[in-house]
Amino acid sequence: MNFWVDALSTGVVLGTPLAFAGLGELIAERAGVINLGVEGMMLIGAVVGFAVGIHTGSIFWAMVAGGFAGGLLGLLHAAMTIGLKVNQIVMGLTLTILGTGLSSYIGASYGNEPFKEHLSKIDIPLLSKIPWIGEIFFQQDIMVYIAIVTVIAAALIINRTRQGLALRGVGEAPAAADAAGVPVFAVRYVAVWLGGVLAGIGGAYLSVVYTQSWSNELTAGRGWIAIALVIFASWRPLLLLPGALLFGFIEALNFQLQAKGVSIPSQYLSMMPYVFTLVVLALVWTRQRGRSGWGMPEALGNPYEREGRS
Amino acid sequence: MRGWRLEKRTAPSLGSRIAQPILAVIAGFVFGAIVLAIGGHNIGDAYKAMWEASFGTGPGFEQTLVRATPLLLCGLAVTAALRMNIWNIGAEGQMAMGSIGATFVAYHTSSLGSFPLLVAIFLGGAVAAGLWALIAAIPRALVGLNEIIVTLFLNYIALLFLSALINGPWKDPAAIGQAYARRLPPQASLPLIGSTQVTIGIFIALAAALAIYWLLDRSRAGFSLQIAGGNVRAAKYLGLGIGRRILFVLFLSGAVAGIAGVIQLTASGGGRLQEGLTGGYGYIGILVAFLARTKVQAVVVVALLYAALLTGGTALQSTGIPSSIAEIIQASIIIFVLIGQALGSYKLVRTAPAKSPPARPAAVGEA
Repeated sequence: MNFWVDALSTGVVLGTPLAFAGLGELIAERAGVINLGVEGMMLIGAVVGFAVGIHTGSIFWAMVAGGFAGGLLGLLHAAMTIGLKVNQIVMGLTLTILGTGLSSYIGASYGNEPFKEHLSKIDIPLLSKIPWIGEIFFQQDIMVYIAIVTVIAAALIINRTRQGLALRGVGEAPAAADAAGVPVFAVRYVAVWLGGVLAGIGGAYLSVVYTQSWSNELTAGRGWIAIALVIFASWRPLLLLPGALLFGFIEALNFQLQAKGVSIPSQYLSMMPYVFTLVVLALVWTRQRGRSGWGMPEALGNPYEREGRS
Repeated sequence: MRGWRLEKRTAPSLGSRIAQPILAVIAGFVFGAIVLAIGGHNIGDAYKAMWEASFGTGPGFEQTLVRATPLLLCGLAVTAALRMNIWNIGAEGQMAMGSIGATFVAYHTSSLGSFPLLVAIFLGGAVAAGLWALIAAIPRALVGLNEIIVTLFLNYIALLFLSALINGPWKDPAAIGQAYARRLPPQASLPLIGSTQVTIGIFIALAAALAIYWLLDRSRAGFSLQIAGGNVRAAKYLGLGIGRRILFVLFLSGAVAGIAGVIQLTASGGGRLQEGLTGGYGYIGILVAFLARTKVQAVVVVALLYAALLTGGTALQSTGIPSSIAEIIQASIIIFVLIGQALGSYKLVRTAPAKSPPARPAAVGEA
């Protein structure tokens, strides 16, 4: 039992950066903009957050800086794809190259420096005493709780508020949203910027809190898993949480099994997030085909162009 | 008040189409120079090393050609599909499946002579990669499932499968630390051209470029692909089977990327399946195809130039300048090209003054 509790508890930690980055990508995609540069934005967030953490000794400022840096790359994606209507796939891949290069360049002098500040675990009163569940969910660091609260808050905003309606409208039917007075371009800019901020925070969590060190390409493909997570969750924010827990758990399980010397090829386990994502996508797609609102935003990938006005 | 307004151009002028990429490359290197200067590195040393390692010397140019080979094939693979508006983001995984299929064939036909063995290996790799791409093509053709997402995630599955094979059943017992697969039979290596480091793989890639140019731009089949991808209604009216064409074009795309994997396996891969064999060429191939605006001739040129950037980047390591600057330059050049392409499709037009004479009277018969 201890083995599984440990794996799940580590899974919550490893799921946290995925939840941040996945929520960011979900917001951008619900606004109709796909950003394949999550890996690059996470890397920039990780290295800038780490550098600021080293210089200030503050985890708080490290997270702020990581979010800020990720947000800058998000804005670049927004300006290129919304403003200049550049192809979103191509720009996203370019953003990943840029983020990988810039983060290695900035991080060149931080490779050997460990980050000494430690984010202590906070026990939630009462809840942390629940057997197993308490240890898995309620004896975590503050960023884990922030991630959970942020995702739930985002779900409420997206599904229940006017602003959320505007976001969804812009992603499903931008022309109709425009006609209804929604500032389509502004909403998309904010959504893609937020996507970068959240990816940057996710990256900073990895370098500052989880590994407490910097190395090149530290995120090791988690940006792509975050993109898979959005699809796994069928673009529904609340489903990000179980998805992030599952993907984080798979990674934790892999570590644990290797540490125990179990000779199961770890690659097949690492494949699972992608396999699950494709299976979920296929199931949802065939079931919901033709019905909007339950899957991929209708206008995903299409730049919006105002017709008939100058 | 007179103002300025952006108006859409019908077609960018030839001059701007040539000048834009050149300006973008210059701007990319200027940006790189600024980043180098901020980092306190010598700009001259960096760019001199990059030049000598890529174009400036014989061995450097050979390395550029070695890298241009898989890049050209991946660019062609993506181009073929893009002509039908199908985004194959999966060339990286298809390369991996190609090298896996080739290795499988090589292990089982190792008694063959060099030429038949190589033919069998290339066929095996191309078919394996083509079938892998069909995993995305079939649901796209049947239910319209987005091929971008499926091909993207198939990459990771293929790369992890490769890793599982070289760490598992195909592992070379001599491998310590980093695992790699057992060596292919010695007659399965691609011959080198003369005394260079370049294999005849570059000719295979160029032949593929010619064949794909003929298919896409000179044949009826290629023309029908573009119609089927561009205008679904027209295609239906003409009785063109769209699903069939999606299967065909993604199988072809996968097979071409698979050949890139086989060339990596039989040339620079040291004759064995190993980690990092695909080297990101599959992703860069997408950029190459897009920057070349899916023109086959342009894909050849862009692949060569991009390969030079990659080669130049690796040379920096020995100079103590972080080779990551090469990635920064790559990305900034692409961004500047994209900006140029976006702005090039618009032109600045002087708007009419507000209190101008009234617009010309409506002509007779104009509603």
